Formats: sequence, structure tokens, C-alpha cells
Amino acid sequence: MLEKITDKITEDEAALYDRQIRLWGLDAQRRLRAARVLLIGVGGLGAEVAKNIVLSGIKSLTLLDHQVVTKEAFTSQFLIPRSELGKNRAESSLGRVQLLNPMVEISADPTDVADKEDAFFTDFDVVCATCCEKQQLQRLNEICHKSDILFFAGDVFGFYGAMFSDLNTHEYAVEVKQNSAEKAIDATSAASTAPPAAKKQKTEPAEMKTVKKTTKFTRFSSALNINWREEAYVKRLKRMPKTFFIYRVLLEFRSVHRRDPSVEHVQTDKEELKQISSRLLPQIGVEPTIIQEDFYDYCFAELCCVCAVVGGVLAQEIIKAVSQKDAPHRNFFFYDGVSGDGMVDCLA
Amino acid sequence: MAINPIMMTNTDLVNSKIDLDTIDVSNLNRQFLFRKEHVGKSKALVAKESAQAFNPDANIIAHHGNIMVPEYGVDFFKKFNVVMNALDNRAARNHVNRMCLAADVPLIESGTAGYLGQVDVIKKGKTECYECQPKAAQKTFPGCTIRNTPSEPIHCIVWAKHLFNQLFGEDDPDQEVSPDTEDPEAAGDAGQSALSAEAEKDVAGGIKRKSTRVWSQEIGYDPAKLFNKFFRDDVKYLLSMENLWKKRRPPVAQDWNEVCQHSTETSLESESGLQDQRIWSMSECALMFGKSISQLKADLAARGDGGMLVWDKDDEAAMNFVTATANIRAHIYGIVTKSRFEIKSMAGNIIPAIATTNAIIAALIVMEGLKILSGNFEKCRNVFLTRQPNFRKRLLVPCTLNPPNPKCYVCCEKPEVVVKLNPKHVTVKILEDKILKGGLNMVAPDVEVDDGKGTILISSEEGETDDNHDKPLATFNIGDGTRLKCDDFLQAYEVVITIKEVEKLENEAEFEIVGDLESLLDQVAEKTDEQKKAESKNGVVAMEDEDVVMETTPTAGTKRKASQEIVSTPKKPRHDDDVIVL
Ligand SMILES: [Zn+2]
Repeated sequence: MLEKITDKITEDEAALYDRQIRLWGLDAQRRLRAARVLLIGVGGLGAEVAKNIVLSGIKSLTLLDHQVVTKEAFTSQFLIPRSELGKNRAESSLGRVQLLNPMVEISADPTDVADKEDAFFTDFDVVCATCCEKQQLQRLNEICHKSDILFFAGDVFGFYGAMFSDLNTHEYAVEVKQNSAEKAIDATSAASTAPPAAKKQKTEPAEMKTVKKTTKFTRFSSALNINWREEAYVKRLKRMPKTFFIYRVLLEFRSVHRRDPSVEHVQTDKEELKQISSRLLPQIGVEPTIIQEDFYDYCFAELCCVCAVVGGVLAQEIIKAVSQKDAPHRNFFFYDGVSGDGMVDCLA
Repeated sequence: MAINPIMMTNTDLVNSKIDLDTIDVSNLNRQFLFRKEHVGKSKALVAKESAQAFNPDANIIAHHGNIMVPEYGVDFFKKFNVVMNALDNRAARNHVNRMCLAADVPLIESGTAGYLGQVDVIKKGKTECYECQPKAAQKTFPGCTIRNTPSEPIHCIVWAKHLFNQLFGEDDPDQEVSPDTEDPEAAGDAGQSALSAEAEKDVAGGIKRKSTRVWSQEIGYDPAKLFNKFFRDDVKYLLSMENLWKKRRPPVAQDWNEVCQHSTETSLESESGLQDQRIWSMSECALMFGKSISQLKADLAARGDGGMLVWDKDDEAAMNFVTATANIRAHIYGIVTKSRFEIKSMAGNIIPAIATTNAIIAALIVMEGLKILSGNFEKCRNVFLTRQPNFRKRLLVPCTLNPPNPKCYVCCEKPEVVVKLNPKHVTVKILEDKILKGGLNMVAPDVEVDDGKGTILISSEEGETDDNHDKPLATFNIGDGTRLKCDDFLQAYEVVITIKEVEKLENEAEFEIVGDLESLLDQVAEKTDEQKKAESKNGVVAMEDEDVVMETTPTAGTKRKASQEIVSTPKKPRHDDDVIVL
């Protein structure tokens, strides 16, 4: 996988991407500029992801969304001008996305993802799905897995956000400190002996070397199918991000109602969320009390700050995966805007 | 700057922003309010315009200006419910910290460095202030290393920047580039005293010339003469200090004509083919040395009499000059030469900023801001963004706010510090510029000696105490135990300095600020443990400022209380420019 990409960075690109090249290097930037990304769902989270990856200098971005612009969009979807109320979300976002970076090819597609043939997705290197139902996510994940396409999913519900990634078998380069064992010996002797040793250690620059590593990912469905009563999982419950279960409840709501909880029906939707959590959570093997009792007070609308946090982490994971640089977060990230915790956990 | 675009799209609150900076191409990869046609324009004004387009309902007032001026005094700060910082330098952060303490307005301090970021909530009397914990000290290199015996590329780069200032910039006696005859390692060199006596006579290009600037102007910035002076004659002089080279590889003097004769030799092409990534050959360095000097000479002339240039990594000629100069010097000393790209990172002390980290930190600032504005201060947390999850699986680590440090020399009730110095050597000017402004971050200090007579040492009124400037402190009977009452009206900040008289300090330092007397005693006791302490602070990131070479090794890592745990988190990575006040 880590083959050389021969396409060269131009002087203009080097100037524009100067700072990030200093951070992740030319090779990573070269890989980014070859990446064709499909973004499904251009809501608040989608807008953040689109902004971040377009600024980073990917090759192309296709915005796929069949939904229309509602008033709610104006609180978190900064890519849509106010004049676009009632129009298609992907098409309405196109102009501002393009302005972010004229070097990236941007296109919009107003088709419903459910109507797309499997073959459609194989033209991309990355598929990132937001605002999708559980069944659709599983379908997309399977298609991507078969064609070795990097797959990401993310959603924001009020103060809560989640992201998932399946990079299949992922090879990446990571910089590690060399001779750390030697250094440790140095340090102990420095503490026990005279000052000259300490002085010497101070000036010694940390030697870094690049090593290749491989990680294997699992499908989205395996996280959904966990039976939390099994002993191995019961042990993990205490230290795992509880936002996962809130996310499960919200995905369930979306499947049942074909929409997200809405401020237009606050009372009935809260009641329904309570119902779903008390039905679904025991089904997968946990008590409904595992999540905070009043979670349903905090899961309405896509809060812009939460979109920015989850969209930032999600976009950085896409950049990492495409550039094959640094260890990816495997395989979930959860953000709880109530407590402020942002947690990574491997659920499979 | 990079941080605030998000804040503006994130909030419908009345806000006001201040920024002195203008937009550079390298900003465009992370700042979505700016586009190519905005390059060179005011960040504050363009950001306001773009943000207004994103949200027509927001009330945004943009200020293009320096935050550290009387126009933005305590009364200005009092107008806001919360201040959000996205500054790129410590001096401005310290200043805003004091303004917010004085105005009693909550401050949200933030910073990013590459993948790392941090948000801190500061409230007078309730939390640590920005200056409660000592920050990593600015990295300085001993003068003799820079002037006589460089061993690393950074030493050559620092020297090259000093040479830039000697030739075109502000004259600073601390940035001398000629051989240092007082190098302790050279002591006992027989040939040295004779040579230096001879050199003193040789005004044009000698060791004790009138000034590098005057001499360079006299020779019309002739690149050949400058080259031969700095890279041939000075190096030959250094070679005569034989003690220096007993255990080191001696430098090899270079001659302009000889280097230029090899002009056909090609430089090392980089694999990427990018100009900035190439490593220049010696003859190319010499060529660039000459070319950049003639450009800088013209730039300087355009400033008129008494004008000067300020080194800027984004100025082509200034950057070429430092690249060429640093590489020639590196070549002389057998130190590895570097590409312009690498030298720019080191000379400009660039801390890479990326869109994703900025977006996350901006959002976290707003999250804390919303808690403050909704009256839930007790829910505020300091939040760290780490690169990999910690052992509790946290990538974003919220930590409870620390109470103020009762000994903080900024936010405690009666701030006091002890300054070690030799009153016979330290002048009033050094006290003002280096200790009060540089060390204690005051902007316009007034100083009175606590001697019962109320002797005014420094007045912030222009011209009032100019006569004192060059007098050593001893002239005013300042000695061990003397107390100086220092007051900055703008910052509404007062601090009492107690002088601890010493003959000499380590590394030729002129002074040392040591906090209170008690900590001075602690320091002596802990000195031997310094190494151990440094070891325990892994994962700590030093915050740095662009354009200032500072230390990347951390100091003073304090453990933070996390909501449920003690964590070792990156300490104070800070970057990015400008302030938002809501
Ligand atoms: Zn303090």
C-alpha cells in the first residue's frame, strides 16, 4: 500500500499548503492530492468535514445529498447562503465549498444515496457517510470493504457526536523515537552522577525514525451486534464511552421515524427516545440506566460546536488514512459535549 | 487568527475582534474566512466581512490594531462578558491576562501546535491566571557558542539572524556576530591578546569596529567585502584562538573569489523538485548572499535616514539572506547544511497550524464561553486535545480548573518578585527594557525606589527620566534588599521587586527573575533534582511564538486535576493569532 506516488507537488501548492507540509510532510501531501472523496449528507457535520478536507488539498470532493435546506441549517451549516431555503443541500453548498480551495474539484449530486448502485461508490478512494440510517451505513460499509475503499461514518445529535471508521487492513508510517532504551539508561545515570552527564543529555536531539505498521479494522455491523452480556464485554462496560449507547438509541430513532429528533416535536420525540432506550438497550444487553437519565434533553439539532469538534476529528482521520501517516483512531470516536469528554474506543 | 472564524460562525452573540495581522498565502490552508484575493489585507476586517456573509444576523465589530495600546484599556475590556484569546505570542497573552484580571472579565485562553490544542478558562480569584505557572523559558544560546564555536544548524541560523540585524536591523549589543574574545574556553591563549590589540586599530572590519552598520554603509554593502570579512577574516581570527580548536574541528575560512569560481557546480536537487526543498551549493549560497544583500540594501535605503529592517520569515530577501548566511557558516564549521524550507521552520520558529485542530479548539472555546454566558461557570473545564487517546481512552481531556497560585506575581493580592542582578552593571534601561518589559511583560512601567524619599527611577511619561537610562542601579543606592515599586497604569498592575545582589550569573545572564524569596531557597535545594523533574514531564509541549527562537524543551509541567483522574497532558501548546471579545 505504501507505494511511491510519483505525482509532484507544484510550487503553488507548496506555498498554499506550507504549514501542513511542515507537519505531515510532502509524501502525505502527495497522497492527499490524489484522493477522491465522496461525502454523503451535507448537514452541519458534513459542512465541517467538507471544509476541513477541501482546505487540506484532496483531489476531488463529491457532495451527495437529496435533502432540502431547512431553517435549522442556518445555525450550523455555514456553507449554505440564506437565499437557498428549500433548495437541495448539496447543490446549495457547492459554491462556498469551491471558494475554500480553487485547486480541488468539487461537484454536487442531489440523488438519494439509497438509489445509488453499488458500482457508483467504486470511483472513490474515501466514502464518508453522515445523516444515514443504520441499514444504509451497513450497506455502504460492505461495499467499501469489498472494494478496499476507506469508509467513515459520523453523526451529531445535539451535544453528542460519534464517528466510525473502517480502513480495512491499513498500512501506515509512524515516526518513533530511536534508541529509547539507551536514553532511559542515560537518564538514570544522569540522575545519580555529576552534572556533566546532565548537560550532555540536554543537547542531544531526539532521533526520530519512520516505521511501517499495519492495523486491521472490523465492519460497522460487528459493533452493532455486540452482546453486552457476554463476559468479555461486561468487563469493558465501566470504562467505555457511554455515548455509544446514546448513539445507538438515536440511530434507532432515525430508522424508525426516517428522521432525527426535531425541535418541532420536542415533547413527543423526547418521550419516544425514552421508549426506545428502555426497549433497545436491554435488547443489546445493558440497563437503560447506563446512559444519563436526561440524555434526551441534549440531543436535538446539530449543535455547531459539536459539529466542529466531531468534524475536526473525523476530517483529521480521513487525512491520516489517505496520507497513510500516523496511527488511526480505531474504530470509534465519541464526543459528549455535556461532560466535555472526547473518547476513542475499539468496539467490535 | 485561525481560530476565530469558527467562533464567528458558531455564535450569534455581539462580538468584537482585534487583529493587527495581515493575510499571507500560507494562512489559506486553514482559515476559511480568507481567500486568495484577500492576501495582504487586514485579517480582522476580512474576517468580519466574510463572517457577516455567513451569518447576516451577527453583530461583529472588527478592530485592526495592536491589543497592547491605551485605546484598549481596562474600560474597553469591561464592556465584554467574556474575552476569547487566539493569540500567537506570549507577550500579548500576558497582557490580555492582566487586562482581564484588572477588568474582572472571564478569559478563555487557547492555543494549538500541530495536532495538539488546549483551552483554559481564567477567572480572577477563582482559577489560575495565564501567568500563575512559570512558562518554558526562552531558549538562548551562550554568546560564545553563537560567535565562536557553533556545532548545530540552529547556532548558524541564530548567527545569521544576528548578522541581518547588525547589517540592516536594530542594533542590539546582545546580537554581536564578531569573534568573542572573552570566551572562557579561549582563556590563556597567547596569540589572542596581541591579535585583539591589533584588531582594535583596524577600524574598517576589525573586531572593535565602530559598528557593523556604519562600516557596511561605508563600503556600500559590497558583498565581496562583507563575505571576506565575516567568512574569511573573522574565521582566521578565530583560528588564532587555538585553545578553542584543541578538541574541535577547526573552521575553514572561505574566500569570496574562490567560492564564486566554482559557480558552475550545481546544487543538490531535491526529490520533490521544489525550489524550497533544495540544498544550495556553496557558490549558490554566495550568489544568494550577494543578491539578497543588494535587495535588502535597496529596501533599507527606501526607509530613509535612520530607517531599519525587521527580519521577517515571509520576506523573500530576508529569508534568502538567512538561508545563504547560515549555510555558508555551517559549511565553514563542517555542520550539515539545510534547505530554505527547513531553515524557515527554525529561523521563523514556525509551529504548524492546521484547519482541523483550529476548528476543534475554536469550538471548545465557544463551548466554555457558552457555559460562562449561561451562568454555569462551575461547569467550565480546561480541555486538552491530544494526539492519541490517553490511558483512559480520552482524546479530548476535560480537567477541573486549578485555583490561583497564591504566589503568582500577577494575580495574587500583593505581587512580589525577587530579581537577582549586579546593580553595578545593570542600568536603568536594562531594568526597564529587559526586566520589566521583557521579563515581567509590563507595557509602560513607572518605577519608584522604596527608599523613603520616593525616588522616581522610571516614568512612563515620555522623556521624564531619560537621563537615568544609562546609569547603573547602584547610582541610586540600589543594592541587596532594595525594594522597587513598579506600576503599569495601562495594565492596572503593580509589583514590588526586591533586589538580590549577586556578582555574576550563569551563562553571562544579566539578571534572573526568581519569584519570591522562598522559592529562591527552594530552587537551590531542588537544583540537583532538575534532571529528574525534566524526565517526569514527558508528553509536555512548549508553547512558542513565531519569529522568536525559543526552547522546545519543557519546564514546569504541573499535573492537572482531571474530572475523574490525574492525567499527564500536553502543557500549554499555544499558537495562533488574535483576540476575540464577546
Ligand atoms: Zn496568576
